[in-house]
Amino acid sequence: MLTFTLRRLLLAVPTLLVISLVIFLVVDLAPGSPMSEIPLTIPPEVRRKMIAALGADQPVFVRYLLWLRQFFWVEPASLFDGWFGTALADGEQRILSWQSRSPVFSIIGQRLPQTLTVIGTAYIVGILIALPIGIYSAYRQYSWFDQAGTLFAMIGFSVPTFFSGTLFILLFAVWLGWFPTKYDTQLEVRDWASFWQQARQMAMPVMTLGLANAAAISRYMRSSMLENMGMDYVRTARAKGMSERTVVLKHVLRNSLIPVVTVIALGIPSIFGGAIVTENLFGVNGIGAALIGAIQANDIPMVQTLAFIFAVLIVLFNLIADILYGLLDPRIRYE
Amino acid sequence: MNMKAALLGAAAVLGLAPAAFAERGTDGEVKLTFPQAVSIMNPYLTGGTKDILAAAMVLEPLAVVDPNGVLVPRLAIEIPTVENGGVSADLTSITWKLVPGLKWSDGSPVTADDAVFTWQYCTDPAGGCSQATKYDGVASVEAVDPSTIKVTFSAPKPNPYTAFVSGLSPILQKAQFANCLGAAAPTCTDANTMPIGTGPFKVTGFTVNDTVTMAMNENYRDPAKPAFASAVIKGGGDAESSARAVMETGEFDYAWNTQIPPDSQAAMAAAGKGQFVVAFGTLVERLEMNMTDPSPDLPEGERSTVKAPHPILSDIRVRTALSKAIDRSILVEVGYGAGGKPTCNVIPGPEGWASDNEGCIAQDMAGAKALLDEAGWTDSDGDGIRDKDGKKLSILFQTTVNPIRQDFQALIKDWWTELGVEVELKAIDPGVFFGGDPGSPDTFQKFYADVEMYANNSESPDPESYLAQYLCSKIPSPETQWQGENINRFCSADYDALHAELTKTTDLAKRQDIAKKLNDMVTKDSMVVVPLVHRGTLSAHANSLGGVQINAWDMETWNTADWFRIK
Amino acid sequence: MLDAIPAPLVQVEDLKMHFPIYSGIFRRHSGDVKAVDGVSFEIMAGQTLGLVGESGCGKSTVGRAILRLYEPTAGRVLIDGEDVARMAPEALRRKRPSMQMVFQDPQASLNPRMTLADIVSEPLDEHTDWTRDRKLERVYELMDQVGLNRRFVNRFPHEFSGGQRQRIGIARALALHPRFIVCDEPIAALDVSIQAQVVNLLEDLQERLGLTYLFISHDLSMVRHLAQRVAVMYLGRIAELSPAKDLYARPLHPYSEALLSAVNEPDPVLAARRKRIILKGEVPSPANPPPGCNFCTRCPKVMDICKTVKPALLEVEAGRMVACHLHTAAGATGASEAEERKRPVNQQGETR
Ligand SMILES: Nc1ncnc2c1ncn2[C@@H]1O[C@H](COP(=O)(O)OP(=O)(O)OP(=O)(O)O)[C@@H](O)[C@H]1O
Ligand SMILES: [Mg+2]
Repeated sequence: MLTFTLRRLLLAVPTLLVISLVIFLVVDLAPGSPMSEIPLTIPPEVRRKMIAALGADQPVFVRYLLWLRQFFWVEPASLFDGWFGTALADGEQRILSWQSRSPVFSIIGQRLPQTLTVIGTAYIVGILIALPIGIYSAYRQYSWFDQAGTLFAMIGFSVPTFFSGTLFILLFAVWLGWFPTKYDTQLEVRDWASFWQQARQMAMPVMTLGLANAAAISRYMRSSMLENMGMDYVRTARAKGMSERTVVLKHVLRNSLIPVVTVIALGIPSIFGGAIVTENLFGVNGIGAALIGAIQANDIPMVQTLAFIFAVLIVLFNLIADILYGLLDPRIRYE
Repeated sequence: MNMKAALLGAAAVLGLAPAAFAERGTDGEVKLTFPQAVSIMNPYLTGGTKDILAAAMVLEPLAVVDPNGVLVPRLAIEIPTVENGGVSADLTSITWKLVPGLKWSDGSPVTADDAVFTWQYCTDPAGGCSQATKYDGVASVEAVDPSTIKVTFSAPKPNPYTAFVSGLSPILQKAQFANCLGAAAPTCTDANTMPIGTGPFKVTGFTVNDTVTMAMNENYRDPAKPAFASAVIKGGGDAESSARAVMETGEFDYAWNTQIPPDSQAAMAAAGKGQFVVAFGTLVERLEMNMTDPSPDLPEGERSTVKAPHPILSDIRVRTALSKAIDRSILVEVGYGAGGKPTCNVIPGPEGWASDNEGCIAQDMAGAKALLDEAGWTDSDGDGIRDKDGKKLSILFQTTVNPIRQDFQALIKDWWTELGVEVELKAIDPGVFFGGDPGSPDTFQKFYADVEMYANNSESPDPESYLAQYLCSKIPSPETQWQGENINRFCSADYDALHAELTKTTDLAKRQDIAKKLNDMVTKDSMVVVPLVHRGTLSAHANSLGGVQINAWDMETWNTADWFRIK
Repeated sequence: MLDAIPAPLVQVEDLKMHFPIYSGIFRRHSGDVKAVDGVSFEIMAGQTLGLVGESGCGKSTVGRAILRLYEPTAGRVLIDGEDVARMAPEALRRKRPSMQMVFQDPQASLNPRMTLADIVSEPLDEHTDWTRDRKLERVYELMDQVGLNRRFVNRFPHEFSGGQRQRIGIARALALHPRFIVCDEPIAALDVSIQAQVVNLLEDLQERLGLTYLFISHDLSMVRHLAQRVAVMYLGRIAELSPAKDLYARPLHPYSEALLSAVNEPDPVLAARRKRIILKGEVPSPANPPPGCNFCTRCPKVMDICKTVKPALLEVEAGRMVACHLHTAAGATGASEAEERKRPVNQQGETR
């Protein structure tokens, strides 16, 4: 297992380098300029100077190499400095966002907590809703509960989040007045009152995303359960005279969870990636909102760094999913 | 239209309402929301209005422009003029006097050195200062004494109120930015996000592209202001959600830039929690007529350059006919509601500067048809499209991807089709269209189309530099990497001469006169610019927020010191 | 065996197992797969009944329905005097230890995520209150009985060979001292050398523990020396039920004849005398069996009556029962269609 992990990690390095170059070129070649959002009242000479000050007029490979150096050396070094008070990265240029001139990593650091709380909660809520629905739907296949579950999943799949989110806003914020429409990122949870406030402002984005997540996962759970339910070993368990609870929850569920856990693990990078639409809609200043903002403003360092971090996370969680599979399923062993 | 009148009336009433003379910091928190979040608080490093609006609550210039387009002193005691001796008789220098006892929010005194530093900061060639034009023609800025600032120009400057005037050009604290000159400018993250200022508020927290939190400035010069103890600006979402947060849910007090479809405006206003206010500046949605031939058959280097005059649009009768066929009132109704009005001028304001040209407002389809007939464009083969010498009257009409603009395109296409003109529409990603990438065929400067539509405005009430756009020397071409603001490639010696005269004229009335003439030369006289809609900035504020005076000539947040809670 | 008339341990009466077919968007009930369609037999305590027939004829379904792993559509299954087919769930669960099954597919029938110890001792957890040690002791005992090395106790099923897995299945079935075991082709998945070992093991266990078997197989030669009596099944019904030696010596039903003709005859003289009967045509679908005798579509000796009237299983000679108009020509009776009983869905069986 250890050698397998190490080998996979080593293999990931060249892959990621290639990915980073591809991302860089794609982002760079995409049409648009960092100056496109600037009012026309600013004359061309000034624009040119602004572009030069950003370093955006350098040839693409110079910028790529600079970015590589910043990403793999300057940023870790400055992180290290931050922890241990060393001065490794002193005088080094960190990756700066063109939009805000702030270091990209401190922006990410600022935003990650929101994304993790909101999107993470939505993911967990989604899973918590999905598993029982999937399990019971499969156990009572074609029952009215199963039909309702199918309908729920279909809605969750097909209704885009901007639609369900807007619907929730109109219903719960405008009409009922229960929840705020704009997420207050400054809110600190200190007591019950602020906790309640936090819960209220998380309610709508979590519902919106939770619905979408639950739809997908409940389907996986259901089909995996159905597949296992027909297996002989389940009949064996029944023949042993095990109680129905044991048969379903111990035998069927445990085996059915293997692929579902993998799917869930593979979905985790998307938590970090945030949810572009939902975050934007509810004003959650997460990573997704940062990404879309950066794309709109042609903030190449920001887009590039975020895209690359996602790539790393995806590669990492693929590995984690494989390892999990190995841990959960005794039939699979990695050398 | 009724609603528009009501809105304007309400705005007027509020403007006149006596400000409550409360004590400083007794009205709690004021909450603002912008559809685009604030990225940076340093107006010299950004072109984004959202950033400058936020910065204007913290940083102040020597003088601002009020809603009537009149200069009002801020950090200066008074506005220097030739009469009061503040501006030298030869117009080569202006001397500002600081209000005595001014303090930065950190308690240190504001001195003339800070202004000198600000000038150095923005003019450093490596700094990429976005407001560099504010300091154009400035030869030096000196601190005559700690409270006297003398700006010397390299040539007589009829409009000396550029440097340190308006929210675009506030004074930075030298102590805070001393190490941020030139190439170091972007690296000073703390200073750029939490600048120390003299305004009613000071930044207490900054989350990039999300939230700015501010507290009242204890050292603000007026001890009774601001009424609010703190302020928050939350950004993100879109115009719709910002408007909703003020007008429907009442979560916020003020929303900037809430341009939403007219029917949504009415629905939200009906909720009764807030009101829309419009600031009409100089933003004009217009058609630019390409005076050069964009035909792809031409070799690169000639296409859309002055070497190849436009085969159809060079005829003023065609341009006029195209303008006459448009019903601007319908465009306003469909696209902007209270946030727009029909116009025939490139300079639609301020009053005094705007020409009285209204000839284009009424649609005149018959007149348009007659003009085309006269120009020799007739439908000789009966296919509904006019032609001349075997060439069809066919036009490529481009703009950016934007729902209102696509509505406009469709409407205009209908009118022009009725006129007998074949119209092909094209919509380009705004990032590309305005991106200025010389390698892209789709930038508005390259103008590889016959007609294009976008909006532009003058950055100051005085349109001198804005009108300079249509000088022959500003024509984009391959030689200039397609940079240049003379988009339609209009070139007239008379225009250039008259503009040169404007730069030398100091008398306000005369200046206004010349500006009107210049406006008419590019609009009704030549029809190279076909103005459509005078666009305002539609903002919304809660009924409980008092003191809002919407301002098109400076930042909308210009008077947040006067905002208060109506109880 | 001569002195005492053995009492039947298992009595199956008119057992039916129909699987409903749903079709269309609204999943309308459009028919049934009549996998088992009126099967009756008895098994004497301590004896083995062989159940043979070609693939898909419903053997496994009979075995599962008897043990109520399927919810039978109709019929009675008396095991030790109790009607398993109509038992309440909880009573059934308590009954389960006495009736067990060794499954056809040794790989699929073992939970891949449980170790041998877990698999074998799980029924002990459920049905006894023994201590861990005692349960482990029992696991070892069973491993010894089926000839598995004690070292393997913590291995997972995939780490065993096919034969070893079948032994685990047997050990598991034995764990609670059952009296009756359904062996569903326990040797089909194994290679010949191991087949003999497993069969010997089963025989050995029967002798020592006094077990009663329903031994399902499509291999007639294997059944021959295991079973006292053999039931030949065709398309959900029993064609012939005879003592093993009589059946092999002189099959009565044309289908039995055809089946036996395909078996390798160890005696060359007999082998030479016998000619191989090759059946033509396809087995009809169990969803749509012929109206008369199920075998009429392929029977070499088919008569007109066969196509319209279902022959009943009748005793035609002492101890020999056959369902064929050839042997019951005198009084052909229609198949007795027992009234189908509706019963509540029982959680212990599958109705699908
Ligand atoms: N759950 C089920 N649903 C529907 N039809 C089924 C089901 N189980 C079995 N059948 C059908 O019932 C018939 C008998 O199946 P069964 O498994 O009893 O055959 P078998 O005699 O054991 O065959 P084999 O020798 O191949 O094991 C087959 O036609 C099969 O398709
Ligand atoms: Mg079978």
